[in-house]
Amino acid sequence: MTETTVQHYVCISCPIGCPLRLVHEGDQILEIEGQECNRGAKYARQEFTDPRRTFSTTVPITGALYGRLPVKLSAPLPRPAIPAAMEAIRQLSAEAPVRLGQVLLRDVAGVAGVDVVSCRTMDRVTM
Amino acid sequence: MFGRMNRRYDVVVVGGGPAGLAAALGALDSGVSRVLVVEREPEAGGILRQCIHAGFGLHHFREELTGPEYAERFVLQAMDRDVDVVPHAYVTGLAVDSSGHRLVRVLSERGGLSTVECRAVVLAMGCRERTRGAVRIPGTRPAGIFTAGLAQKLVNLDGYLPGRRAVILGSGDIGLIMARRLMLEGVSVAGVYELMPYSNGLTRNVVQCLDDFGIPLHLSTTVTRIHGRDRVEAVTVAPVDETGRPDPEKSWDVPCDTLLLSIGLIPENELSESLGLALDVVTGGPKVDSTLATSLPGVFACGNVLHVHDLVDFVTEEALRAGRFAGEHARQLRRPRDTIQLVPGANVRYCLPHTLSTDRSHTIYMRAKTRLAPCVLRVGNLLEKRLRFVVPAEMIHLTIQPELLERFYEDRLQIDLVPVDGKGAP
Repeated sequence: MTETTVQHYVCISCPIGCPLRLVHEGDQILEIEGQECNRGAKYARQEFTDPRRTFSTTVPITGALYGRLPVKLSAPLPRPAIPAAMEAIRQLSAEAPVRLGQVLLRDVAGVAGVDVVSCRTMDRVTM
Repeated sequence: MFGRMNRRYDVVVVGGGPAGLAAALGALDSGVSRVLVVEREPEAGGILRQCIHAGFGLHHFREELTGPEYAERFVLQAMDRDVDVVPHAYVTGLAVDSSGHRLVRVLSERGGLSTVECRAVVLAMGCRERTRGAVRIPGTRPAGIFTAGLAQKLVNLDGYLPGRRAVILGSGDIGLIMARRLMLEGVSVAGVYELMPYSNGLTRNVVQCLDDFGIPLHLSTTVTRIHGRDRVEAVTVAPVDETGRPDPEKSWDVPCDTLLLSIGLIPENELSESLGLALDVVTGGPKVDSTLATSLPGVFACGNVLHVHDLVDFVTEEALRAGRFAGEHARQLRRPRDTIQLVPGANVRYCLPHTLSTDRSHTIYMRAKTRLAPCVLRVGNLLEKRLRFVVPAEMIHLTIQPELLERFYEDRLQIDLVPVDGKGAP
């Protein structure tokens, strides 16, 4: 039999930031407390079972006004996959013109449905 | 059209960031057709171009966008609706001719110094970051000290890393966002130091930008000295007491080669000052009436040049209104004069606009001095609204319906934020 363990989170659903306490036994959630509204419980459950994050970064681009093209993930990624995703994005480069929403890499870090997409249009500039 | 500048316009907008672009669109909405945006950078979009993280547009578009995406929507609309945008250009001055036209002096890369005639001007120059000088950090003057926004520009637009090991002073959202950004790029972040006993950023950013990466946040702590001759080598940090005074006995050194400052923003009002506009000492921006008109007839202001916002969505809302009023002014439509002075009362740091009229609804923006949870927002004896909490970092907005002011005959309306159970509670 596993022991009950406590995880602490700060809810990010609104600026109040309720301190949450999640009690679990193995994978089994026994209790969630500290939330002022039910979004808190939902947040704690998500953080415990499958924490996901999204992030933005840039890739080098040639032939554009600036040397970097901002990119984002099309959907949140499981948190542990972030370093692998960053490493994969580091291998990318682009050439102008690029349009907003253009997919630069599909299924980043092997996660189906999470793509790396351009955050802006970059026209071709002749220097 | 991008790059075009004619001699005559209905409305000239100074600045092509989110405020300037929305002001231009607002002016078109009011029925004028000739609008010019004067932009200092090579393209429109403003600071959003370097804010590549998501979190913009939740109010205005009801979806979460990155900064460049939010900016692009407005740039495209402006182009579609035939707004002229002149890049690499500054407004150096403003005069009024004998027929009442405003003469805007524009210095541009292509056109040199020229004069543009218009009927109304919207100021949308945004804000600047406070620097080391603003908080007087003692020590040497080595390379490696950046404002957080400058570091953001270097990393996100130009592709340079500011250093290898950074310390961040100030826990505003820009500082927190940059902490994560640097970690993702392989720069180590030794810690974030905050003078106040609480973080000035959103909880979401503290969790996702610091906690996720194991970056420590030291509250009630500040940087008291910078070390290093040519390059930053370390900073001394010390805890502060309730008055903000550091305790040198308890100080310690943090080795680093980079110090990022995220210590506040100030409206960029060099032009406003040179025009002799009446300024508000608290906001640092112009005093405005309920049409967002400044003390100089035909000159309007919106966005961060008026007061520093925390959400671009509210900048957009405010700028659309400023643009509409500027367009109406250009069409020589006049509204009834404001008759009521709006003044900040208990726990209100500032409220805008400075005056109100009784003929229409008004959007009021304000900031609290301290955190209160829960509290009551009181507008004179006209309105009471219960709020779950107020914090200085979050702007409060309130819409007042005209019925409310219909039978208000006084000339002064005070806004208070009072605790529910404490003194002066209803």
